[in-house]
Amino acid sequence: MTPVKGGYAVDVPIVNVSERARREHASVWSTFRAFAVTLRRLFTSLFKGDTPTIYYPEQTRPYSERFRGTHILTVRNDGSLKCVACYMCATICPAECIYIEAGEHPNPEIEKFPERFDIDMMRCIYCGFCVDACPEEAIIMSREHHQSVYTRGETIYGIEKLMARPGIDAKGPGYRPNRALAEAKIFDKKSQQVCPFPSVVEERHPAVLYESMIRRRGSE
Amino acid sequence: MPKLTINGQTYDAEKGKTIIQVADEVGIQIPRYCYHPDIGIEGSCRMCLVEVAKAPKLMPACATPIAEGMEVRTNTERVHEAVRYAMEFLLLHHPIDCPVCDQSGECWLQDYYMAHAGHDSRYPLGEKERRLKAFSLGPLVKLDQERCILCTRCVRFTRNVTKTNEIQVFSRGHHSEIGIFEDRPLENPYSGNVVDVCPVGALTSSDFRFKVRVWFLKGTPSVCGGCSTGCNNRIDHSARPLGGGIPGYSAGDGKMYRTVGRRNVDVNKSWLCDEGRLSFHTLERWPRLRTGTGTVAAVHERFEALRKEHGDSAVAGLASATNTNEAMFLMKKYFRGNVDFRLGKEVDLYQQRQDDLLRRLDKHPNTQGAMDLGLAGEWSGLRGMRERAERKQLRGAWISFHPQLVGDDAPEIVDELQRLIAALEFSVVSTTHQFEWAAKASVLLPMAAWSEELGTYTNYAGRVQLTNRAVMPPGEAQPLHLMMAELLLLSGVQIPHEPAVIFELLSREVPAYGGMDYDSIGLLGAAAAQPVEVTR
Repeated sequence: MTPVKGGYAVDVPIVNVSERARREHASVWSTFRAFAVTLRRLFTSLFKGDTPTIYYPEQTRPYSERFRGTHILTVRNDGSLKCVACYMCATICPAECIYIEAGEHPNPEIEKFPERFDIDMMRCIYCGFCVDACPEEAIIMSREHHQSVYTRGETIYGIEKLMARPGIDAKGPGYRPNRALAEAKIFDKKSQQVCPFPSVVEERHPAVLYESMIRRRGSE
Repeated sequence: MPKLTINGQTYDAEKGKTIIQVADEVGIQIPRYCYHPDIGIEGSCRMCLVEVAKAPKLMPACATPIAEGMEVRTNTERVHEAVRYAMEFLLLHHPIDCPVCDQSGECWLQDYYMAHAGHDSRYPLGEKERRLKAFSLGPLVKLDQERCILCTRCVRFTRNVTKTNEIQVFSRGHHSEIGIFEDRPLENPYSGNVVDVCPVGALTSSDFRFKVRVWFLKGTPSVCGGCSTGCNNRIDHSARPLGGGIPGYSAGDGKMYRTVGRRNVDVNKSWLCDEGRLSFHTLERWPRLRTGTGTVAAVHERFEALRKEHGDSAVAGLASATNTNEAMFLMKKYFRGNVDFRLGKEVDLYQQRQDDLLRRLDKHPNTQGAMDLGLAGEWSGLRGMRERAERKQLRGAWISFHPQLVGDDAPEIVDELQRLIAALEFSVVSTTHQFEWAAKASVLLPMAAWSEELGTYTNYAGRVQLTNRAVMPPGEAQPLHLMMAELLLLSGVQIPHEPAVIFELLSREVPAYGGMDYDSIGLLGAAAAQPVEVTR
């Protein structure tokens, strides 16, 4: 079994068939033994239901925890979007498929949130750079990869679709390397029946802020 | 003229200057936050410390006047150490806001941190000082006290430049913070400049805030088209379509996001007025005219027929004082001198000040240029043209109309234009937007607006400055000088399309611009060969 060069781009080992048959104790009886295996599999498949095949797409195999599928926008504990519209993902994106419009968040501690966050899934190359770049773990990837739609417009995912869609519930999250740094929740319809941005607090008057700051300083 | 040595090199410098000013002139970089050439010296940030021979301590370069035989070193280990400690001190309570901070990408803290500091914070993140965030100082400016480094540039701007004193430092020591008095918001007409001078993200513009991150922008040096002062600015516009192929959002032709002041000591120092700063929004006020209702060739045929029948003076052009010198020069050539530009009282007003700082009453950028070209002649403006048209002495006219970038066009001007169009046999309107009054014109042609064409404007004092193309004109719109070049080509004169070459032709014929070209005008403009006397 020494590799020889013979017209192939790579080295291909030459298999000596008779030597291999001797090593594997192959004889006429082996053929019948193979039939026995086939028959045994036939009966176990038929009566025990132990089949190696699955009914795709109704059934799917489990994907890796690090599978890079369609994106998810994560939420805070109060159900509001975690994204602060910093454009890091749009900046790093090699396919330039992320479009963000930022707005002024009424809560000055948060300051910024995305008024629109669109990902053109037809343009996306699923490299996961956006997830790596995100400082808030606001964008992660799911294990979902089904993209069949009727119009091209449907492949542009807005905030609602990125935050919650049946595929996320079915497949669960995928690539999220920064989980240890920032724990983010995935929107859950059962526990959160609130609007996307409920952490909005009432417009605070600057005077009130000043007062609270003075009080805080006094207590120090 | 004292002689001083900086980093071993000897320089002659003017008496009374400080070290940092000399260093700036000769191109030696000294880090600074509080020093700004146009707002007075404070010496509070301690970033510009330099080593001066025979001085026991490091000296602030911004506040140390130069002296004969002074030996300055800016690159010793002692200086680097001082800058590093100053940076650590300034960043001690600085929040990690960079992802949401509008200044990020053009922040001096980021730049100097990367260049001089690079330390880890000794203060845990949760224990940093919390202060007021996103507080509106006025209609145009938002304050974030956490990000402020108390360089007091904004305070000195309102104290020394506008002299309105709205922004002050309140409290003392560690508690000091920038703020305004409760009943006096920052409402002066130059308030946007405090955003420009702020080296960090403490003051951000409400207009530009969160629109786009600055690293997506490209700056094009240009001139403000808001009034006859001609302040130098930089137009920041999109450098690449954001969001790639998402339909309807990609700003492929470019979109202007903001304008910032560009330093020109002879015109505007570093400042812009708020009206001029926001004047690029005027172009979004009406829907743009994208397609014309005729062709330049057809227009030329009609004009030729009218000229043959009624003589040269039956056809005239009405330029706009927002058109470039090049366009108006070609217009004058095609219409054989029968060109005027006056819509109202531009000529009386263009040198008159609106206030003590920059603004002037004439809201057109190129009134002086039109006058230098001799367009303020016997046609006596729009009114004169209308009267001649009503007497049937004027049969056909090309009306080039550019809306005022600041304020509204006077209703009587619009009325007068409507009457002119009604009285004319054949009227061509080249304009930028879909105006109702222009709908009745025989031919409507889309024209490139300010910021969409290259050319020169001459300001109130006769300074010729370049206005640049930052974005592409929408649809089929063309700069006026191209339309005029096409008309001239049809009448048998070949004119090059480059504004620079047209200006060379112009400088040969117009005595005021003799010997000038785009190279000598450059980024900062050049005074005309025959200076204009500024009387008011």
